[in-house]
Parts: sequence; structure tokens; C-alpha cells
Amino acid sequence: MTHAVFDALNPPPVADVHLDLESYDADADLMVLNLGPQHPSTHGVFRVKLVLDGEVIVKAVPYPGYLHRGVEKLLEKLTYAQQTPIVDKNDYLSPMINEQVLNMAFEAGLGIEVPRRARWLRTILAELQRLASHLVAIGTFVMDVGGSIGGGASMFMYTFRDRELILDLFEDLTGGRFHYNTHQVGGNRHDVPVGWDVSIRAACDQIERSLDEWDVMTVKNGVFRDRTIGVGVLSRDLALQLGASGPIMRASGIDLDLRRDAPYHLYDELDVQVATGTGGDCFTRYRLRAVECRESIRLIRILLEDVPEGPLCSLKPSKGPTAVKIKDGQWYVAVEGPRGEIGTYLIAGGNKGMSPYRLKIRPPSLHALATVPYLLPGHTLSDAVAILGSLDPIMGEVDR
Amino acid sequence: MTPELQAAVGQLLGREDVAAFGMVVPAELHFALAKLLKDNGYVFYVTVVASHWPAQPAAKGAPETAEHFEVATVLRNLPQLQDNRTGSQTFSWRVDLAAGQDIDSLVPLFAGADWQEREQYDLVGVRFAGHPDLRRLMMDEDWPGHPLRRDYAIETPHAPWR
Amino acid sequence: MTLEELLANAWVRGLVASVLVLTGILVVAAWATWVERRVAGRLQNRIGPNRVGWFGLLQPIADALKLLRKEVLVPDRADRGLFLLAPGLLLFFAMAAIAVVPWGPGLVAADLDIGLLWVLAMSGMMLVPTWIAGWSSNNKYSLVAGMRAAAQGISYEVPLLLSALVPVMLAGSFNLSDIAEAQARDGWYAIWPPGIGLAAFVIYFTTSLAEANRIPFDIPEAESELVAGVSTEYTGIAFGLFQMTEYIHTWLSSAVATLLFLGGWHGPFLGDSWWAGLIWMVLKTSVLFVSIMLLRWSLVRLRADQLMRFCWVWLVPISLGLVAATAIWIQVAQGGR
Repeated sequence: MTHAVFDALNPPPVADVHLDLESYDADADLMVLNLGPQHPSTHGVFRVKLVLDGEVIVKAVPYPGYLHRGVEKLLEKLTYAQQTPIVDKNDYLSPMINEQVLNMAFEAGLGIEVPRRARWLRTILAELQRLASHLVAIGTFVMDVGGSIGGGASMFMYTFRDRELILDLFEDLTGGRFHYNTHQVGGNRHDVPVGWDVSIRAACDQIERSLDEWDVMTVKNGVFRDRTIGVGVLSRDLALQLGASGPIMRASGIDLDLRRDAPYHLYDELDVQVATGTGGDCFTRYRLRAVECRESIRLIRILLEDVPEGPLCSLKPSKGPTAVKIKDGQWYVAVEGPRGEIGTYLIAGGNKGMSPYRLKIRPPSLHALATVPYLLPGHTLSDAVAILGSLDPIMGEVDR
Repeated sequence: MTPELQAAVGQLLGREDVAAFGMVVPAELHFALAKLLKDNGYVFYVTVVASHWPAQPAAKGAPETAEHFEVATVLRNLPQLQDNRTGSQTFSWRVDLAAGQDIDSLVPLFAGADWQEREQYDLVGVRFAGHPDLRRLMMDEDWPGHPLRRDYAIETPHAPWR
Repeated sequence: MTLEELLANAWVRGLVASVLVLTGILVVAAWATWVERRVAGRLQNRIGPNRVGWFGLLQPIADALKLLRKEVLVPDRADRGLFLLAPGLLLFFAMAAIAVVPWGPGLVAADLDIGLLWVLAMSGMMLVPTWIAGWSSNNKYSLVAGMRAAAQGISYEVPLLLSALVPVMLAGSFNLSDIAEAQARDGWYAIWPPGIGLAAFVIYFTTSLAEANRIPFDIPEAESELVAGVSTEYTGIAFGLFQMTEYIHTWLSSAVATLLFLGGWHGPFLGDSWWAGLIWMVLKTSVLFVSIMLLRWSLVRLRADQLMRFCWVWLVPISLGLVAATAIWIQVAQGGR
């Protein structure tokens, strides 16, 4: 099977998501293959039912939900101060950004300002987290494209080595490597440790060097290009309709980045350069993430030049978990996470104002996975895995 | 939101006070409003949130309310698609539904509404009329009840904080 | 009966030689896993196994013991007989192929006149147990892997044989020992005839990677899409046999490539004794072997259809051309020897 070279503006025909298999070629010998939920390349417990004609996918029916933990129900029962550590586990590769968007919704509900130092810290944490998350995305994608038992895992090891540097930074700040609980309503909890900026600069330098190295391994590698260029083309229109935000959308040529277009934190003072591509394929998505890593490093360096002084939290130290009360109202707050627009829709007023009445998290990964039934048909099984990897879904966030 | 769009939305809904967030819209105008917004640049489907409001007996200061649902939809515009302006706003509105009442599905307009509406149907139990494939998304096919309803296992033996 | 008389008997000699070669190759295969893991460790900024014994040298024994002690599970719906036959058959063909490979002057278990054909035939036959394993596991991933292995193996057989014909034509023999000896006279076939030999060597090396299912041609084992390919359902020592065969096959490919293109056991400094031949042979084979490993840990996998296209569009025509060019070279440069 050959792939004509499509891109986001000249997309392949849209796959028939609700294809009736009865009407498919009667001579074809179709095979149903369950990819997942226990499959090495589904990034957790995602299940796709693939209908294969030979090795070419005819229809893909995804079944998310294997990691559904009822987070939204749990959030309805916990008080506002207790919620931050819960959402850490949603998108477990970018907990900082989860915490931020949740607390920003509460701050919108209370109508309080966050001190400048806390906003500075949040910006730098968001960028570091984006960097860490993209490193994992790059590494796991290359692993999905191929390798023997751990063969392509060389790249995976390299990216994880550099991600360790960022986790070390977070550990210096919060004491936790994965689940931080460092944001609170009105500001941040942990102040910057001494010498943190030096470690950040060192980590950024190291990652920048590594990114050059990885470009040689992947972007300039003929086999890698063969495997990714023109594979899994998501058209511009479909990306919009499906709400597939973040790098996936920007790889399909849509110039939307909430850091620039709906600024929060300190982003209105930074000149965020938004990279876009028109390929819409796995290669462009991969490339775009690498470019965004460089942009994050640039922003971090700018941020480190001017460290604002002042308080870290606008509220007094909390006396207990019930200190924050929001009586009534609805808010939608969104930030640009590493996987796209991550939002919180807060309906306040549950539990006498101590808990949300309903809190919906907009998970970018769910919208990214919604492209799967459109992207997979027409590709082979090998490409299916590569496409899934390029979408970089986090099942903890998809299923919540 | 441009003044022209504000006027168009006001004309559609028959009201003056058009706000980009939190307007309550009649269920029968839900689809028409989404279509109008999509035609006017709000092309990015953000999210849909359904919430359940069980029947409340009359309390002091508040009248008795029947069981109902609220469905909030959020769309986002992309001015950069038309010209090179940057910036992006959301538009969100709410539909109040009586128990058992359906709401029009937005899948014909936004393919991304497919999974979102399935999720809300699954967890809250709001039915979306015209949805091509309204199955549960998160829970098992034969799961009893809708977990995010307020009366679903909300009583716990301990207070929400310990 | 003295030892000399005993060894003069062809049967006894054959038996002793086979036992030596087969034991040797099993040892090599076992420690090849250790080498591979250490090489991979260096490549990936980690250490690799270093706990069992000195520098982890006893790790293969620990692994083998672990695999031996594990239960060999047969899936409920699998074809029990074929399922258990496949790994043994696979090892058998690998061993049969390695029997004709000379490791030094006279150091060969079976010095066949059609040695090269035998090697290619046996490594070609290894497709059959691979496919049997894929089919009899009654697992869709294994089935897809088995079909891929069959398609890939049959396709890559063609350029493999064609590129191996180049040294055969130059040496005028299918006997691996004769080909190695001929290179003492003509120089390495990878260098001389200029261009042709190198191209044939590169094609032979590439296709033998595909035959041994090594990256970037390991689509039958494609762990990111097919879990573990044909060995998905295998456990314990049955799985161990698959792994071992892969190493033996890789070692075999390296050895045959050495014999065909890199002068076999001939090398400077050490003289012409059998042990010098053995040292040079193992050294050259190891260099190829480690370079295969380095390739494995730094490349991504091709897709099945790209693999086929690469074979039929590039490798087959080029190797056909090389055969023709070799014939012309023999006529023109060597006066039709």
C-alpha cells in the first residue's frame, strides 16, 4: 500500500467512522483484532477494536474507559483545598498544569488576584512541565515507531534521562517527583529554593544539546521519515471539529495557542512564538513537539532574568480544608497544556459552598483520541501504533 | 464577540442582554445557536457539561424545584482563521432541561461532540437527540444508573473531610 | 585402538566435531545475550547486567536457569503438537546451518561442497517453524507475525542468494572453505573487485539482517505492534529457544558474511595455524555481530510494505546487476578464469 503525500490542507478522504461492515467487499476476509487494553503500545489501557483486511485497517472502534476512576464525582465530595492532589493523577505527565487550571478556576470563582511572584512561578512551572511532558511524548513516540525489545527504546532512555533533570527541579521545589500539590487557591505553596535558577539553566542547556542530538537520530533518519511522513494525516477541518487541540491541531495548520491567544499567568508579558506545521502527519506532530521544547527553553530563560519579589499566596495560610468557600456561579477556565487546551468548567455551590456542585475537566487527550476512528482506516497495523503514539494520549486524563 | 454577532444572537434568541458566558437558552434554539456561532467563527468545539439538579422541597427563601438538568456548551472562536489577528474567546451557553427531556445533538455540526456527548450521557444521563451512536463511553454497557447524578451514591458514612 | 585411529573413523570425527561446534555455538549464543545487553546499556546511558558474576558474566546462566525452571504453558486452543514442535525445529535448522561453517583451516564439522547452498537452504527453512509457531499459537498477533515472517523471508531470500553468488562466481566454488581460501589469493571480496564486492557485501549484510529478523527488518517480532510476534504465547524455555535461535542466526549471518566477503579466517600477524584462523574468524564475526547490535539499538523499524518495496524495487535489481557485473569482471579483468 502506498501513501500519496497528503497534508492538512490537502487531506486524504475522510474515513467513514460508522462504516457498515455488511456492505464492505463480500470477498474480503476480515479479521477483528483487539488492540489493547493490555497492549504494550496503547499508553495505558486504551482499547481499539480494529477490523483488518489483510493488514490494512478497515474500521477502528475505540473503547476508552478502562481507567475511569470517577475523579469528577470525587471532586464533588472533596473540599476545594483537597482537590489539587487528586487532579495530579489525571494527566500524570503534566500534573503542574492540571493543578494550575483547577486552582485558576477556583480563583476565578472567588475573584481573587494571584500575586506576581506566584504567577511567575506558575509560568516557569508550566513551561518546565511542558518540556518534561514533551520529552516523554517524543520518547514514547519513537519507541512506538519501532525497535526490538527495547530497540527503539534508546531514544526513550535519552528523553527520560533528560526528563529526570526536570523532575529533580520539581523535587527541589516541592519534595515530590510526580505528584506535587504545590498550587493552592490564591498562589503557590512552596517558595523557590536557593540556587534553583542555576539548576534550571543547567537543565535547559543539557536538554537543548540533547534536542540537537535527537534531531540527528530521528528527523534526519531516512527510516524514521519513511515511517512517519504522510502517515495519519489529520485535516485542518477535522482537527477543528474534533477539538483536537495543542500540538496535534498546530501540526494541522491551525494557529491557536492559548498562551498567546488567551494569556494567563505572565504569558501576556512574554512574546510566545507559536510554531505551526501543515503536514498534519505523525512526522509534523513529532517535529512540532521538539520545536515547542525549544520554545519552552527560550521562555524559561527569559523568565529567569527577572524574578519578581513579593508574597507567594494572596490568601492567608489555610486554617483547614474548609477555608475556601464559593457560594454560587459557573466558570470556564482553560490553559494551554502540553497536549492542548485543558480546561475546568466549575459549577460552584455544592456541599454548602465547600465543594463544587459539578466540576468538569476538559481533557485534551480525549479529544485527541477522538481522531483515532478517522485516522486509522487505510493504514496498516504498524502505522496504527505510530499514529496512536503521535497523538500522545494520557489515559489517566482520557478516562478520569 | 463582534457587535454584528451579538446582534445576530440577540435576534435569534429574542433578547437584548447577550453575554458570552452563562446565557440560558431554550432547548429548541440550542442547535440553531450553535450553527449561528459556527458560521460566525466559533469553529472550535471545546466541551459540553451536563449537570443534574434533583428535586428540592421548598425551603426558606427558595421555592420548590423539580428535578432538572443543565447542559452547558462551550465553543471557541479562531479569528486567526479569517485574518491574521491573534486572540481567542470562548462562547458558552446553558440549556435547562426537564427530567426526561432530550437535547439536540451537535454532532452534525462538530464531529468532536460525538464522544463528549456520549460521556455526558454515560455519566449524567442526558439524552442527545440525533446522536448517531449514543452508547456509554466510560462505564460498562450494562452499568446501572448514571454516576454523576447528584443522587448516585452521594451519601457516605463520613464527612467529605476527615 | 589409539586416539588417532579412533579419530580416523569418519563417524567418530563427525560426532566429535558436531559436539564441539554445537556446544561452542550454544555458548556463543548465551554470551551473545550478555554482550548485547552490555552494548545496549552503553548505548543507552545505563549499565546493563553487572550483578551476576564478574561484570555480570554469569548472567546468561542465571537467565537460562530461570527459563528452564518456568512452566511451558500451552494455550488452551493452540495446536499442541505443532506449538511445541516449532521452537525445537527452529533450533534444529539453525544448528544444521551452522554445522557447515568453517571456523579455521579444517575446523569444520561438515565440509560440504555445497556448503553455502546448505546454509542458505537451512536459514530459509527456518521460516517454516516461525510460521508454524505463528499459526499454532492461535493468537492473532502471532498469526500476523507469522504471515509477515513468511512474506519477508521468501522475499529476502532472493537478494540474499544473488548477492552471495558474487563471491561464489569469483571463487568458483560453493564450498565455504574454498571461498575463504580463494580470498587469500584474490584479496577480500568486499574490497576487490572494486565497488562490486562492496555493494554485494552491503546487500548481503542487509538481507541477512532481514533473514535473522533484526532491526530495522524485525517486523515479525515488532514488539510495539505485535506484542512479541510469533513468540507471544511461548513461555519458559520454549521462549528461550526463540531468543537463542535469533542470536545463533545473527552469529551465523555474521560468520557467513565474514567467510564470503571478509577473507574468512585469513589475517596478518598470527601465521597460518588453526588457532590463528579461529582467532581471526571469531574476531571478524564479532565485529559484524556487534555492528548488527549497534544498528539494532539505533534504528526504527520499517513497515511491512516498505520492507517489501525495498526488497523488490531496490535489492533484487541491484543484486541481479551485481551478478552480471561480476561475470563481466571475470571475463574482462581476469580473462575468464
